[in-house]
Amino acid sequence: MAILNVNPTRMALLDLKKRVKSAERGHKLLKDKQDGLMKHFMEIVRDAKKLREEVEEMLGDAFKKFLIASAWMKEADLRNALSSPQAKLALSVKTKNVMSVRIPFFELEKEGEIKTYGYAGTNALLDEAIDALNEAFEILIQLAQIEKQAEALAIELETTRRRVNALEHKMIPDLKDTVKYIRLKLDEGERSAIIGTMKVKAQIEAAA
Amino acid sequence: MNYQIAIIGSKEAIEGFSLLGVKTVPAQNTEEAVEKIREMKRSSDEVFAIIFITEDLAKDFTQDDEKFFAKDPLPAIIPLPSHHGSTGYSMERLSRIVERAVGSDILK
Repeated sequence: MAILNVNPTRMALLDLKKRVKSAERGHKLLKDKQDGLMKHFMEIVRDAKKLREEVEEMLGDAFKKFLIASAWMKEADLRNALSSPQAKLALSVKTKNVMSVRIPFFELEKEGEIKTYGYAGTNALLDEAIDALNEAFEILIQLAQIEKQAEALAIELETTRRRVNALEHKMIPDLKDTVKYIRLKLDEGERSAIIGTMKVKAQIEAAA
Repeated sequence: MNYQIAIIGSKEAIEGFSLLGVKTVPAQNTEEAVEKIREMKRSSDEVFAIIFITEDLAKDFTQDDEKFFAKDPLPAIIPLPSHHGSTGYSMERLSRIVERAVGSDILK
């Protein structure tokens, strides 16, 4: 309950009424936006969780394989094996606009041979580890995509929710209270003017 | 336009990714990782779309860091479990995202 700092005049009343209208309109639009975002967010966030769980398992495994493989190899051999990567990753990013949030879609194209090392000095464990990493990687890209989407949507949802709440619980009630206050003030002024004239009239009649 | 993918973590953990064509960026501790990410966001000749970071480095991010990383549409900064296994940080992060969006954690 707070009354805005305005002069109780007809001008101010008209102005405020206009503002109430636009605030209500804005509130409705934002609420729709919030609902839309929420729908989208709910769709992806459960997938995100599932994907995350999958990745935790796969990647832990792949890392372990790699560590074991590297433990069996000489430091220099490993360095050598990893030193000449030929594979090229081409990642293209498309963004889609969901309720004015730009969310990314990643598309991965792989090129070239991954296992660019000789058989001498390396072992089968390394092959396995690299395969595991390679396999996990595609899911990683998906995970990156979906988590980034969720993150972007969450940020927008938060601000939208705040705006909706601010309008609903602060702006609109305040404006309405002020309109009411001005109306009462104006009515009061009107009554006082009528009484004033009646009084004057009665005095004139009494004097006559 | 082609984007780059990078991974930050301890050297032993991430070097396997180099064969896949991912740019590996070794970092020993969280401060170093944050500094590297800032550098990558600033660099103009290479645009990174995804930066993976191992959990042991990511778990000590301050809130300011996280906010800064989440702000722009790209790059996506994604924590991954390291060779030590999952620390639960990523799940917690996801929960935080949900909480931020919905108001309470509904994933549990």
